Amino acid sequence: MTEKHSPLDQFTIQRIFEMKIGNIDISLTNSSLMMIAVLLILNVFLIYATKKKSVVPGRLQSIAEMSYEMIYNTTQSNLGNDGKRLFPLVYTLFMFILLCNMLGLIPYSFTVTSHIIITFALAFGVFLLATILGFVLHGHKYLRLFLPKGVPIFLIPILVPIEIVSYISRPISLAVRLAANMMAGHTIIKVFASFVVVLGIWGIAPLLFIVVLYVLETLIAFLQAYVFAVLTCLYISDSFHPEH
Amino acid sequence: MSKKKVGDIDDSLKELTKKIDNVKKENINKSSKYQNKQFSGFSHAFKIVSDLFANILVGGAIGWTLDYYFNTKPILLIIFLIIGFISGIYTSYKSTKKLQNIE
Repeated sequence: MTEKHSPLDQFTIQRIFEMKIGNIDISLTNSSLMMIAVLLILNVFLIYATKKKSVVPGRLQSIAEMSYEMIYNTTQSNLGNDGKRLFPLVYTLFMFILLCNMLGLIPYSFTVTSHIIITFALAFGVFLLATILGFVLHGHKYLRLFLPKGVPIFLIPILVPIEIVSYISRPISLAVRLAANMMAGHTIIKVFASFVVVLGIWGIAPLLFIVVLYVLETLIAFLQAYVFAVLTCLYISDSFHPEH
Repeated sequence: MSKKKVGDIDDSLKELTKKIDNVKKENINKSSKYQNKQFSGFSHAFKIVSDLFANILVGGAIGWTLDYYFNTKPILLIIFLIIGFISGIYTSYKSTKKLQNIE
């Protein structure tokens, strides 16, 4: 009865409204619809929440202020005063990913961040920014990042490839972490949900488990967005100070 | 008489402002430290897991690509896989050391 439902069905992309420019498919899919919804909700929420500007904040205003302060403190502690210029970027990334993760937890919605191409696009943007910023600020001296100070000469041919590999793997690590966490959590929930149907009256056990799992997923949704923001700060701080 | 009183009030006001500023500073420090400690463990764990994976992946990809262009089929792939593995452990070692320094 339930064979036809794969737990991975929830990640399929469906075209809602077909569009084409030449040979390029730019159809409106459920993924892009979700992203548009996230952006709309984010903008409306933040504008509405900060409209009153009361000294004693209400519920919405304090949510907006808390998220702002949290990311502000993070950028400040990781980037110092240079961080002020990059704070809008980090905050936007954090709020976008957070809302994508959170809205994905609603049943029948779509988790944008469970697709590795989307998280990779975000991570690669951060990577490009950090690299370009490093070369703009330090010129060719930015390459010192690959050669830590006080390394003996015979270690250089080993250490430089290692550093280069670890530098290139940064965006991939960022992308894989976010996408894998989102996908794994949603798949587990779906798998246990299918147990509920199969087990009949005993299905209450997996049902309780799902409730607990949902709490954990909410925590992970928040945490992954936060981790993404923190690591963005860390990687960009390397381009401000390449020699640690 | 009245002038002295105004001066007193000014002084005590200044003192009060100082006290408030100090408390504010302490609070900011406390809150940011608390937040960092609370989440840094989690974020560090997630970072290490994906770093180990991504470094090996990137090492393998570089090795495979170089092999493809230089026609040296398995040699560079093996070397770069090993380099990727080392760099994964090296990266997590470095970030752990950084975390310890903060604490």
